[in-house]
Order: sequence, then structure tokens, then C-alpha cells
Amino acid sequence: MLLTVPARRWLASAALLFTASIVGAQTPTATPSQKQAVQRSTSDWLLRMHEASQSKAYIGTLVVSSGDHMTSSRIWHVCDGAQQMERIESLSGPARSTFRHNADVITFLSQTKVALVETRESLGMFPGFLKSPDAAIDDFYTAQLVGVERIAGFDTDVVQIEPKDKLRFAYQVWSEKKSGLVMRLQTLDGQKRVLEQVAFSELQMDAPVNMGKLTQMMAKTEDYRVERQEIIKTSAEVEGWLLKAPVPGFKPMSCYRRPVQGEQGNVGAAVQWIFSDGLATVSLFIERFASGQHGPEGLRVMGATHTLSRRVPDKAGGWWLTVVGEVPAQTLQAFALALERRK
Amino acid sequence: MNPENLTANEQISALVDGQLSGEAVTLAVQALTQDPQARADWHVYHLVGDVLRSQELSWVCTKEVDFLSRLRSRLQDEATPSLPGLVMDSVTSYAVNDMLTSLNGYAKEAANDASLRWKWVAGLASLALACVLGWSLVGEVGTQSSSAQLAHAPLPTVQTQAASVSDESVPILIRDPRLDQLLQAHQQFGGTSALQMPSGFVRNATFVRPAR
Repeated sequence: MLLTVPARRWLASAALLFTASIVGAQTPTATPSQKQAVQRSTSDWLLRMHEASQSKAYIGTLVVSSGDHMTSSRIWHVCDGAQQMERIESLSGPARSTFRHNADVITFLSQTKVALVETRESLGMFPGFLKSPDAAIDDFYTAQLVGVERIAGFDTDVVQIEPKDKLRFAYQVWSEKKSGLVMRLQTLDGQKRVLEQVAFSELQMDAPVNMGKLTQMMAKTEDYRVERQEIIKTSAEVEGWLLKAPVPGFKPMSCYRRPVQGEQGNVGAAVQWIFSDGLATVSLFIERFASGQHGPEGLRVMGATHTLSRRVPDKAGGWWLTVVGEVPAQTLQAFALALERRK
Repeated sequence: MNPENLTANEQISALVDGQLSGEAVTLAVQALTQDPQARADWHVYHLVGDVLRSQELSWVCTKEVDFLSRLRSRLQDEATPSLPGLVMDSVTSYAVNDMLTSLNGYAKEAANDASLRWKWVAGLASLALACVLGWSLVGEVGTQSSSAQLAHAPLPTVQTQAASVSDESVPILIRDPRLDQLLQAHQQFGGTSALQMPSGFVRNATFVRPAR
């Protein structure tokens, strides 16, 4: 090369400047003062978003796109700090409305006139995952404010949540500036591809949602056949399972025994052991292996949700393990390899 | 014999001879992937061609698909000592790969040097077969995912396996209502996320269940 050193240096710096200006133009705008104003850790950000959902009442239209599939629904949400109520009307697919009062959930399927009654303990008042002194979430994720954007008419902080290892996905969150409410959420894989997006296309903040009225609607089951989901709380210990090596960051949350309907209408039972790292959830479903009842072994992908099915052999015919989670395939594999029958 | 069957036979014969073109090739190869009889014919016609050209090549090459599906079902019934998933997958994929290699080799050897056209046709035919198998898999995924949302991970192991058991109408891509139930049960706990976006809850609330 015939270029002199200063000339080359000049060229390099010019190129750098040029690139910087392009990058600057493309990323959401963030002024230095905004960046200084909000210096929060991952758990601070999440706590803020969580608290917003605890104190706000809103009505909005939520659009979920996962893979090539998209659904939208209308949401009424109200929370007075102690009680949380939600009503969701599906706008796509078969008509159905779901009501939730804290952990009690009822889904009205208007086509079949069936009302499904369930208890979803872990929903609602989210536990002290963030407040506990060993809040591990900061050990596995970093959060960074990358800009401000307008979503559905609201100014939002754009927060990038990056995993520190390859066992979880990254997230981009648009959090409403004043309240912290999550307006849009993207799940991204290692190559920064969007696997799933949940976003409000329209939102009415501090909407007059009447808790009493929702309670009334929730209790109107006269025209419906009520089906109760028989879910029994249990523990992995009682069921005879353990993880010989913990999967970093994932803590056991709860364990249930639930019925699973076979193709011929027969009902089996599966143990569902649930883990969470604070952002992603992994369920381990363990059933007795029954020849002809299970699909093939292997990995499946549906948006951000990955599924791994595998047969676990033993002397009495073996078990069928299905690991489901919004995590990369290798995390599911780590769970599958670590699961062991208690002696 | 009914005329339809005859047409199918003739189609396969024409495919073996490289006399088909355009959509006819697709149709014939499709028949090949779906109809065991067509596959048997395919092998017989090749065998006939081979024996006519060289006595050495008159080895019995049929039934490998049957053999593989038998091997697969036996492996599934077998209580393997450890990590059955890994072992079965790799064993089957090795078997399939070996079989594919030998099939390719066979296709090449089937044509002796004197008839270059044969070699070309055989190579093209096996390529076309591979393409169509792959294409039909992709097609399946597309149609399945629109209803079941179970797009398949691009695992080569699984694909070769699926190709090897096309007899059983590609079971891997069939919608699994049992798995749907588990997915739903998992999504009920979407609220185990600190993000508090009711995404899991909504996904579940709007989850399209199979008609009962």
C-alpha cells in the first residue's frame, strides 16, 4: 500500500465517523440527559414495570405475533394493589372471553357453551423474585436504556435486556415513561431476530374499569357447562424427581399434577415442574411412557417457545419427558440431561 | 390390473428412463414418495436395467425403506440403557445416511461408462427424489404451522428420519393434540415472568384449540 500512515489514519477516522453517524441515525434517539437520568439495574427496571401493572387500570388492544401466527385481543385490566382483575376478549380465532380475579380464572367458550374454571397460582401478584436479597436476575441479564420511542401515543423508554450467557433469550422492552407499564415486548434470539412480539396497538390508561362489574360478568355461568381443571399441587420430591445439576439461573417455582387427555379419550397424568429465571419460564412435563400415545422425539419451535420431547427409560417401561420454554434449545437439553429419578 | 395402476407403473417406468419432464416428474416422484408399490417398481426397473447392463450389479436392493422403518420401530420398543433419544436419533440417522450413500453409489454404479445418459438420469432422479422429499417436508411444515404452530426445527437428523419413514405419512409433522395441551399448560404460567406483560396469559387466552 502506498498510503502514508497519517493518510491511512485520517481515512480510518473518517470511516468511523461516517459509520457512527449512520448508526446514530438508525437507533432510537437518546439524548445524554435522558441516559443520565435513568441509570437502573435490570431488577430496578423490572420492578418498575411490575409495579406499573399492579397500580394501573387500563383498556387496550394487545397484538401477539409469534412465528408466522398473529392473534389480537381486547384487555380490561384493573388493580387496586390487593386485588387484580382482568378481562380478555379474543378478537381473532374462536370467540372466547377469559376473566381472572387474582388466581381464579374462568374461560367462557361461547361456541361450545363450556366454561373452564382454573386456578393459576403464579399469575397476578408476582412473587418476590425481584425483591429478594438474592435477586439473581442481575447475574444473568443486563439492562440498558437505548432510546425513547412513541408507542400507541405514549412516550416510552426502550430498554434492551441482554442475557449474560447462551441459556436465555434477549428482550427489548418499551416501557411507558411515566408509569413504567410495558407497552411492547420483543423476544430476540442470539442473532437478534425477533421471535415473538407482544404490543399494545391502542391503550387507554387510567380507564374506568369497574371491578364489581367484572366480578358480576365472571359469575354469569348459567348458560354454560362448567368444567373444572383438576390440578393438584405436589412437589418434585414427592413425585420422585430431581435435577442432578441445576441449570444456571433457573429456580424451581412450583410443581403440579395435571390430567392429560389421550387421543382415545383416556386420561393420563403428567407432572408439571415449573422453573423460572425471572423472565423466562420452563416447564418439565413427565408422564408414564405409553406406546402409541406420544409423538416422535425431537425439538419443535413455535415463535419463542421451544419444545423438546424425549423418552426416559427405566425398568418399568420408561417415562415421556416434554420440556417447554421460551428459551434456546440448549437450555431445554440441559434440563433433559439433568433430570433424574430419585432412588 | 386397473388402468390407473398401469398409468402409475408407466409413469415410474418413464421416470426411470428419464422420459418425463416438467410437472410429470413432480407427480411421478410424489407417487414414489407415497406409494410403496411405486417404490418397489422403481427398484425393480432399476434392477432390470442394471442386470441388462452388468451381471455384477444384480444384487437385491429393495426393501431398505421397509428395513429402516422396521429398525426404527424396533429401536423404539427397545429399552436402551442410556440417553435413548440421542442414541436412537444418531443410530437411525447413521443408518439413513449410510443407506442414502449406498443408494447414491448404487445409482452411480448402475450406469456403466458406456451409457453416460443413464448415469445422468439416475443422478438426476435421485436428486429430484431428494428435492421432492425435502419440498414435501417443507410444504407439510407450512400447512401444519398455520394450524398447529409447530414449525419444525431444521434438524437434519429429524428430516432424514422423516424421509426414511415416509411410509407412515411423515408422523413427525402431524399435529399432536397431547403436545398442544402441554403447551397450553405451560403458557398458563407466562405470568411467572417479571415483565408482567400478560403475554403468556393472553397467548393462552387466545390459544386456538383443536375442535373437540
